Amino acid sequence: MAPPPPHRPYKRPAISDQQRRRDLALQAQSARRADAQARARSLANSLLSPSSAAADTAVE
Amino acid sequence: VAGIEIPQKQWPELIASLLSNIHQVQPNVKQATLETLGYLCEEVSPEAVDQDQVNKILTAVVQGMNASEGNSDVRLAATRALYNALGFAQVNFSNDMERDYIMRVVCEATQSTDVKIRQAAFECLVAISSTYYDKLATYMQDIFNITAKAVRGDEESVALQAIEFWSSICDEEIDILDEYSSEFTADSDVPCYYFIKQALPALVPMLLETLLKQEEDQDLDEGAWNLAMAGGTCLGLVARTVGDDIVPLVMPFVEENITKPDWRHREAATYAFGSILEGPSADKLAPLVNVALNFMLSALVNDPSNHVKDTTAWTLGRIFEFLHGSALETAPIITSENCQQILTVLLQSMKDVPNVAEKACGALYFLAQGYVDAGSASPLTPFFQDIIQSLLFVTHREDAGESRLRTAAYETLNEVVRCSIEETGPIVMQLVPVIMMELHQTLEAGKLSTDEREKRSELQGLLCGCLQVIIQKLGAMESTKYSFLQYADQMMELFLRVFACRNATVHEEAMLAIGALAYAAGPNFSKYMPQFYQYLEMGLQNFEEYQVCAITVGVVGDLCRALEDKILPYCDGIMTQLLKDLSSNQLHRSVKPPIFSCFGDIALAIGENFEKYLIYAMPMLQSAADLSAHAAAADDEMLDYTNQLRNGILEAYSGILQGFKSSPKTQLLMQYAPNILNFLDALYNGKDMDDTVMKTAIGVLGDLADTLGVHAGPLINQSISSKRFLEECLASDDPLVKESADWARVAISRAVSG
Repeated sequence: MAPPPPHRPYKRPAISDQQRRRDLALQAQSARRADAQARARSLANSLLSPSSAAADTAVE
Repeated sequence: VAGIEIPQKQWPELIASLLSNIHQVQPNVKQATLETLGYLCEEVSPEAVDQDQVNKILTAVVQGMNASEGNSDVRLAATRALYNALGFAQVNFSNDMERDYIMRVVCEATQSTDVKIRQAAFECLVAISSTYYDKLATYMQDIFNITAKAVRGDEESVALQAIEFWSSICDEEIDILDEYSSEFTADSDVPCYYFIKQALPALVPMLLETLLKQEEDQDLDEGAWNLAMAGGTCLGLVARTVGDDIVPLVMPFVEENITKPDWRHREAATYAFGSILEGPSADKLAPLVNVALNFMLSALVNDPSNHVKDTTAWTLGRIFEFLHGSALETAPIITSENCQQILTVLLQSMKDVPNVAEKACGALYFLAQGYVDAGSASPLTPFFQDIIQSLLFVTHREDAGESRLRTAAYETLNEVVRCSIEETGPIVMQLVPVIMMELHQTLEAGKLSTDEREKRSELQGLLCGCLQVIIQKLGAMESTKYSFLQYADQMMELFLRVFACRNATVHEEAMLAIGALAYAAGPNFSKYMPQFYQYLEMGLQNFEEYQVCAITVGVVGDLCRALEDKILPYCDGIMTQLLKDLSSNQLHRSVKPPIFSCFGDIALAIGENFEKYLIYAMPMLQSAADLSAHAAAADDEMLDYTNQLRNGILEAYSGILQGFKSSPKTQLLMQYAPNILNFLDALYNGKDMDDTVMKTAIGVLGDLADTLGVHAGPLINQSISSKRFLEECLASDDPLVKESADWARVAISRAVSG
């Protein structure tokens, strides 16, 4: 017979702060990935848009 | 052995030969046989055993449980075997007669004269409540009578299982009602029978009675679990199941007992009140809480019983968790007038005995959390320095090792920092050298015993966790980012020394902190890479503690975004390890989707230098894509995992395609385009992707068109994705899906028109 499960948490939050730190870090990583993608795409758009030549000159 | 051989049909005679023992006269043989059958059911999955054999096993087990079985050891072994065999009884539970028989035998066993049999029988009822919830309607009245009798009169081990039955029914109904209210499914495979709502008038008084059966000093014992604790926990679940209906049934008990001279009554009343704060509506609870708040604050300071103070502080925490914050903006329970009083009481309670102080820290955690969106209007701002000082004081208490007090204080400090605002940035900045000094001191200790080493690791984990939160906060604010980075060298030195201590939890915490630091430091982080790299590799190799591996994979992503092409010298080693991780059967499957995403991060950072990894990465992506596109998801969990995998694969494709953009080597990717488009088409046809996958998938289509341009035009034109899928995404209600689709539309029109 499998050992009975440990008892339910008593006066404790459902998730630990450690789990919260992990979750928040993963959320932040995925938001930054999305940002990096969006930046790459908007760069692509700006390079191909009619005003890109002017923008390039300005950067230089 | 049976666990391995039975699924492969290599030991077909085992069950038959075991069953033949059942007719033996000797009770010890019967007992051993039933125990073996129980172990077998525990190890082997139900699909591996024919229904005919299942029927025979169940017949033998249920016969062994029957009251006519004279030997109690045999009856106990049979009852325990049934617990394990329940998963095999799907067909039998669908047959009314067979189910009636099994339920009758289980219910009879709950009345045995042997306490172990009664306990095992209630454990069977608990397992039945979750596995066969939808088959229980006709038995509920009888089960209520049996459980009520056990809760009121049986030994504690049996009574606890009887309460657990009702907690388990609550779990089922909470899940079903959650699915009813979910905007995606709005339905559930199993209907809700509202057993708890029906039992409410009798169930709640039974649970309230248990609250008065507290043990002396139960709050000082971490592992304690007794009738009062189980009853209150069940009451909390009942409140979550039925919502407002519980309030009128509990409040008379609270009012009657809250001022009685016996601490048990006051504690039970407080615990009952605290337990029902999640579930009922804010409208129903707010007037009650408004009246109770002052009473609670006074009890937390003045009640002579530590037990009452402990529960009072916990209840305040529940008030702040569920009835404070943005949900109650129009009529807040905490106002600028009472906030100062609340804080004064909580900070004072943090000096009380450890178990009370721990709950006071918990209450402060939720008080701070409720102001996360308050900005400069947060009434905590004037007290910020006092709060931080009080929490630091708690961490230094000599008795902070008791009742998890030190952990609670650091966790609250983290939440206070997370929810802080720009105005208090300088105070958070002052914390940096303080926490660094604490971490430094843990590294200076001489020879330590095993116990001391364990305590040191725990403290190091807390300190690294705290630094991670501080780094994220200060690194995200322009006013503090640059001055904070003056500590980066010292901080990295400390983290590297922490890694040398070799403890999985501490590694994970330090790794997370380093990820945050890398993001804040940007390209300047490259100077730490030569020393840090070995620990990064070590993290990626940590199959056993897969959380460490998962976090390290995420940190590789952080490093890619921070260092961009400066990560190149380390990519051979990182890619080798990531490819090994993907091929490993040992590594937990949850780490694999982020590894694919990480390929995308690397490719985006190093651009065309990803060329040499294409021959390894692309076949892996393709086979994973084939698998995930056609995966028949057996349940929601599997579908969720499949979608995570799909998202990871798509993020990899996106990063690779964008990374090669504008490179003379773009054409290297042309050979992979048909497979990528097939994957997108298969996802569209499969109709089971979630919005996140949809967004990433249509983005990949845009990236493919953007990077490969006119060369891919004809291929794109032939794909379903470029038409129907794109149209569907353009019409999506989800702004992120629509945004991705807009990008794809522009890129495709350029590629197709040439």
